[in-house]
Amino acid sequence: MLATALSALRIAFRSVMRSKLRALLTILGILIGVAAVVIVTALGTGVQDKVVKSIQSLGSNTILIISRPAQRSGARGKAGVGGRMTEADGQAILREATSVAAVVPMVSAPAQVVFGDRNTSTAVIGTTRDYLKVRSYELERGEMWTETDERLKTKVCVMGATTAANLFGSVDPVGQIVRIGKYPFRVVGTLERKGQSLGGEDPDDRLLMPVGSFRARVLHLPAGRVWLLMASATDVDTTARAEAQIRAILLQRHNITDEDDPDFVIHTQAEFMQLQEQIFGTLQLLLVGIAVVSLVVGGIGVMNIMLVSVTERTREIGIRMAIGAREGDIMIQFLIEALVLCSLGGLSGTVVGLAAIQAMVVSLGWNMILPPQALIAALATSATIGVVFGFFPARRAARLDPIEALHHE
Amino acid sequence: MEPIIEMVGVEKDYASGPVVVRALIDAHITVNEGEFVAIVGPSGSGKSTLMNIIGCLDRPSRGTYRLAGYDVGSRSNNARAVLRNRLIGFVFQGFNLLPRTTALENVELPLVYRGQRAKHRRAHARAVLAQVGLADRVDHTPNQLSGGQQQRVAIARALVTDPPLLLADEPTGNLDTRTSDEILALLQRLNRERSLTIVLVTHESDVALCASRVITMRDGHVRSDVRQSSPRDAGEAAARAQSEPEPTSARPGGE
Repeated sequence: MLATALSALRIAFRSVMRSKLRALLTILGILIGVAAVVIVTALGTGVQDKVVKSIQSLGSNTILIISRPAQRSGARGKAGVGGRMTEADGQAILREATSVAAVVPMVSAPAQVVFGDRNTSTAVIGTTRDYLKVRSYELERGEMWTETDERLKTKVCVMGATTAANLFGSVDPVGQIVRIGKYPFRVVGTLERKGQSLGGEDPDDRLLMPVGSFRARVLHLPAGRVWLLMASATDVDTTARAEAQIRAILLQRHNITDEDDPDFVIHTQAEFMQLQEQIFGTLQLLLVGIAVVSLVVGGIGVMNIMLVSVTERTREIGIRMAIGAREGDIMIQFLIEALVLCSLGGLSGTVVGLAAIQAMVVSLGWNMILPPQALIAALATSATIGVVFGFFPARRAARLDPIEALHHE
Repeated sequence: MEPIIEMVGVEKDYASGPVVVRALIDAHITVNEGEFVAIVGPSGSGKSTLMNIIGCLDRPSRGTYRLAGYDVGSRSNNARAVLRNRLIGFVFQGFNLLPRTTALENVELPLVYRGQRAKHRRAHARAVLAQVGLADRVDHTPNQLSGGQQQRVAIARALVTDPPLLLADEPTGNLDTRTSDEILALLQRLNRERSLTIVLVTHESDVALCASRVITMRDGHVRSDVRQSSPRDAGEAAARAQSEPEPTSARPGGE
């Protein structure tokens, strides 16, 4: 059987070489399909990777706790505005919840920031030092305000990269004084640019200050009251546990007996990530689906050519049968021929796909990642197509009647 | 003498639309080892049908056919393929060599289906090609060979498996008289020297005269079955033609 298969392989190569143009066109069909699969997979994986990274840069273990008025009592207010959540809640969470690494309060308001003859409108955020840790920001220049600043409600601020660029251009903002409303604030540091944003907001267009300073100089709020607490779990995996702990602590502190009607809402990045993955997963599935369709079309091309080949070589099949070829021998001969065509298409398609990926990465700067198993899958798929689409023509050849085949002109 | 072909009441029907054509009717034929049998008859007499059944390419509709003791009628397509490979060497009118394939590879082919190793196959095929006088033509493809040479390659292919039976279907039909005589002389020599059983189908009486026994077919029946005590010696005729001037007629399939 091995000897037959080897000789069939030789016959197959010779037969492919015999009609070069025809073989080339058939191979092209498979080539395009395989190249499409390879490129689309790389593109999809690249995009997904980028999405995951940008979510991680927001802090994938971040938990948002949004205050809202209790639902049962009177008219409902806007989420985040009403409610009874305080900085003390945040401190309690940090103290009691074992899976929470940091908690920062957050109040914010849009405000006009003025420096010399320039001004910009940005989101002013009142928070604490841990904000950088929770949101995964890095300082670019200067330093963060101190705990003393927080206690004394000093007029200091830290700027996002976009805000700094808008106000200062090429001037170093650290040490400069900006005006917010009627109060001067000293810029103590600037944040490193994050650059990517999924929700549409620019993570670099913001101005941070101690929450006490915010309440005193930007927006007058009851002492200790916050709209939003931002917590970070000790790890991505402990996010769910941290969420449960936070919920329990807040329910207890706010004396809420009806668990279904709390005066806060908790969001995690995990939910967001899941949604994103779902969207991109579906998109990639669609693209791969289209690529696979083109591969199937290529397979039909192979089948077509194999049927022509069987008809052309009917007499040869008759001769082979007369001198002792069994049905299986004929079958293997034509299956191998289809397999050779498809494998050549698969190999060249992979090469073309890889070249195209390289070209796109270099010229368009796209993020493309080809997982090695996708490469193996593409080759295996092309071989499978050879067997599947070669099967019918091969069986037709094997089932020919030797007498009729011998007298075929 | 062992009988190699035993046919008892073999019949073959073909459905041709609503009409059933009885191509072969009640054939009783026994051929012993070492015989040289010619089957003659006009076209439509059933000799091709008889040939296909003897060659295990077809199965009888009724009756039993035993080839070297094997009951052919009860065997599957694959089993008959194995029987053909083991017991029969085929020689056809149109040579039926694989195009664009060298003489050596053509002769090797039956051994491929026996699963023999390439080295053995090649050596054996070379030896048999030498026996039919084509030692210097092993790497030629059929279109580089004359009709006579092509038929010699076909005979080598038939002999390479060392079969007990050689089945020749109009082996000289495409050849001129002189080349025909050469091919017939080769067959006679193989029959004489190796006591190879040969069954040859022809419609030329000249060719039939070379056999030791002539079976005449007509309308599906075996009409006569005659032994010839002194068959024509094709070798002698070929030798005589050698001394005469070269015939001017073109050889089909020639160089």
